[in-house]
Amino acid sequence: MPTFAQFMRAPFARTNHFFETTKLGPYPIAWYVSGWRGGLLVLLAAILFPIFYDQTSIQPLLGDGIQVGIYVILALGLNVVVGYAGLLDLGYVAFFAIGEYVASFLTTGYIFSKLGQSPIIVLKSPMPFILIFPAAALFAGFIGVLFGAPTLRLRGDYLAIVTLGLGEIVPIFFQNVPWFGGNVGASVLYIPNIQLPSLVSSIVGFTTISLTPLLNKAGFYFLTLMMVVIVVLLTNSLRESSLGRAWIAIREDETAASAAGVNLVRTKLLAFAFGAAMGGLGGVLDGANSGSIVPTVFSFNTSITILIMIVLGGIGSLRGVILGAAILRLIDFTLLGQLNTFRQTSPLVTNIHGILHFLALPQFDFNQAKFLIYGLILLAMILLRPQGLLPDRRRQRELVGIGESAEAYSAVGLLEREEAGEGVSGTGSEDMTLFTGSGSDAQGREG
Amino acid sequence: MPETTIPALQMRTVTKAFGGLTAVDSVDLTVQPGQIFSIIGPNGAGKATVFNLITGIYQPTNGDILLQGQSLKGLTPDRVLRRGIARTFQNIRLFSNMTVMENILVGEHKTFPGDLISIIFHLPNYQSAEKHARTRALELLSFFGPKMVALKDEYAANLSYADRRRVEIARALGSNPKVLLLDEPTAGMNDAETAEAVGYITRMREQFNLTIVLIEHKLQVTMGISDRIAVLDYGKKIAEGLPEEIQRNEQVIEAYLGRKVVVE
Amino acid sequence: MLEFAATNGGPVLFFQQLELGITLGAMYALVALGYTLVYGIIELINFAHGDVFMWSTVVLLLVSNALGLKGTLGGFALIGVLILFLAIGMAVSAFLNVSIERLAYRRLRKAPRLAPLIAAVGVSFILENIAQLTIGSGFIAFPPIFPTTALNIFGVKISILHIFIFGLAVGLMYALDRFIQTTKLGRAMRATAQDPEAAALMGVNVNRTIFMAFLIGGALAGAAGLCYNLVIAQVNFFTGFKFGLIAFTAAVFGGIGNVYGAVAGGFAIGIIYALSIQYFNFLPGGGVAWVDAIVFGILVLTLVFRPSGILGQQVPDKV
Repeated sequence: MPTFAQFMRAPFARTNHFFETTKLGPYPIAWYVSGWRGGLLVLLAAILFPIFYDQTSIQPLLGDGIQVGIYVILALGLNVVVGYAGLLDLGYVAFFAIGEYVASFLTTGYIFSKLGQSPIIVLKSPMPFILIFPAAALFAGFIGVLFGAPTLRLRGDYLAIVTLGLGEIVPIFFQNVPWFGGNVGASVLYIPNIQLPSLVSSIVGFTTISLTPLLNKAGFYFLTLMMVVIVVLLTNSLRESSLGRAWIAIREDETAASAAGVNLVRTKLLAFAFGAAMGGLGGVLDGANSGSIVPTVFSFNTSITILIMIVLGGIGSLRGVILGAAILRLIDFTLLGQLNTFRQTSPLVTNIHGILHFLALPQFDFNQAKFLIYGLILLAMILLRPQGLLPDRRRQRELVGIGESAEAYSAVGLLEREEAGEGVSGTGSEDMTLFTGSGSDAQGREG
Repeated sequence: MPETTIPALQMRTVTKAFGGLTAVDSVDLTVQPGQIFSIIGPNGAGKATVFNLITGIYQPTNGDILLQGQSLKGLTPDRVLRRGIARTFQNIRLFSNMTVMENILVGEHKTFPGDLISIIFHLPNYQSAEKHARTRALELLSFFGPKMVALKDEYAANLSYADRRRVEIARALGSNPKVLLLDEPTAGMNDAETAEAVGYITRMREQFNLTIVLIEHKLQVTMGISDRIAVLDYGKKIAEGLPEEIQRNEQVIEAYLGRKVVVE
Repeated sequence: MLEFAATNGGPVLFFQQLELGITLGAMYALVALGYTLVYGIIELINFAHGDVFMWSTVVLLLVSNALGLKGTLGGFALIGVLILFLAIGMAVSAFLNVSIERLAYRRLRKAPRLAPLIAAVGVSFILENIAQLTIGSGFIAFPPIFPTTALNIFGVKISILHIFIFGLAVGLMYALDRFIQTTKLGRAMRATAQDPEAAALMGVNVNRTIFMAFLIGGALAGAAGLCYNLVIAQVNFFTGFKFGLIAFTAAVFGGIGNVYGAVAGGFAIGIIYALSIQYFNFLPGGGVAWVDAIVFGILVLTLVFRPSGILGQQVPDKV
């Protein structure tokens, strides 16, 4: 008798089977979409898709693309903390906020400018935009170290609460200290256009690249895409390194890792700081994209939304996290609107005898139900498919309980495992990989 | 002229108390370089606590622990390892979801550059460290025979019990230690496996120039390979000496062997 | 939150804030007990506990609307409504808490530690947003059913309501203490908290013990929900998040896993909260804007410097 969870997993098994057996040329389809080949395909699609649209209809799409890109960067950064190092950071939005304010300072040149009064520090000339990325990343990373150094000695679940507290304190700080513009926020200046050298412009046919999202989103879209590629390469490189191994070791057994020479605090701190730096990068992009800082964004909801992207896609899995970020942003941009349209027009709802008539309540709005939907996704994933849609090979073993590591479980849980006499509770591990075939194994192995 | 050597490892009147319970009570131990030194004693005698104290998992309430004359006071386990003391655990603590190779590479963690820039961009110093570490890991596995080398890409969780013991020792050796602490390296092994383990423990000492401290329950193992034996009971050292001396020691027979016979 | 900061100064003001702090503290302590009971037994930070508390405030609001309550009640009507509300509030939160354990946490007992914590975050998110869909995003006034009479002692106003809340909270805490100390189930809970493995070997039904921890923790949060509606009188879907965090801080401050620590921590944090509002009023935006930051600051400092809390005992790590 299959359990509900097994029932839910079955479709994945069938898709996997299809992709692994159906050949396209010399290799099965799975071969093309796994590992770096899949990444390259997605990148190509992201670069090429603007070509197939005309100028007007592409603009909102590019805007969505920029948003997806920003959240992919944030999610990848948080994934290093949660997925790689196994630390639950519930206040990630703090670093996002810091990135935005750094961007504001450095683009406007006004530091500590109280509304209506002259700023305390004025930069002689605002910093060139391209330097703002590393500056914000470094500063956010530095703050990450400052926060992390005392707190990372704590046990994992305590850390979650401390980061949550910090995620609340930082926005309180920015909203109440008048130098930061209070509830109004601050402005981030747009990026100047890039003038192409005459030789290049004679080839491509235009002379300037506008990075101002207000006028033409294409330039900023490609800038975002470039940052995404950089962050993907960085995080992948980290995972396939001695540090990546140390993170896994810590996740599995802190005592053994420490006895094997891994400095626990330092190793965790590197994950925390790197995640913070990526949060800062995302902040710069978001600030520059909207031209201003909206302090209400820096809420617990945003921190959790980013966490949900990771859990949905697959904790610790690069491609999973990218997929998770894209899905959640697309739910936000299109699905909710379409559900609302459906609610207003479909006879199932509007007709008094329709089975979905209860949705016809006048105050009901799917946009308001967004976080409810997110919460349901989070809970459903962690209960039914904790390894995510595109799981990380190793995380899957941990989360579905194929390999055991005593320290990772609470005492009661451990006890129950023993009672049930199970070393292996994962049912049918073979059916849980989508798009993974042999390709991802090879990718994981050759570091 | 008597040659004065600095002891490889020394515990000076080390005490460890947990609340009201004194797990280790003013224990003195001196291990000379190149020795195989065994610590024996009934269950709960404080042997495991001694290992946790030496490796920095616990800090002593009193007393000091010295490696080649240098105090290890206040050092975290990873620092102790960097100084040259590696260990294994009684209940084999491998990283189950990592491969054999990866487990040993974690053991070699201290040979890798620590700065984020080298790591993230895989700079030449990182690449050479990675290359050396992998070569060395294979050497360590081949110490246990070609069968272990063949298992290098197997997940630790999938290994047999005896193989996990071997990998855990290889992981400890990865840090190139001066002193190796083995916590019941033959526990749960049959006679043939035990004999093999005894073989590689003695070979290890020669090949890697080690000082070995051993916790062991099987007396035929300790008596056979130890240069010196210390006996703990209720956290106190009740005897120390050559294996034959320990075998003849009345107090030991009473406190340890005698009681064991009674229990059985 | 509300405008708690008084305008006059001196010792009267101090004691006035103290009186408020003790009242808030009684509520924090009740909610903190729920965190500590659950943590003591399954080592899970029940992240949704604040929202379990919030739901009792919401349901009580809906019930009071259904009953058509508008103004102050007196005599038997007041007593009757209070008993009814207490029963409903406790039942709602207890039921909710137990259901969450049954549907979400129990399935994840074998999972790595991160999983139940993430599930708890998800549950919290869901509870908050259902509440938002039910009563909207605004603050809805709870009818002022309790008389506003107050004693005046040297200028310090001590309201009857606050005395009632203090009495209710202390009564419930005493009942909990008796339950834990004298009943068989209570002993089982203590045993499980100390060593679940040994407790199970001695025949303690672990599932029932966990169920009881969630049931009692939820019921106490429900009682706190009634108190909150009477004192703060503003119902909002987001109340549980901050209130829960502050109560969790109280549990940690007192020593998480220790029920007496939760009570002590609850009162301590309540008093710190009320005094901070007053005495940090010089900060930009006023004390109210910063009080959460101050409490979180205490949380961080406690965890970093004394993770066992003011009353907690040091337990050696199992290696």
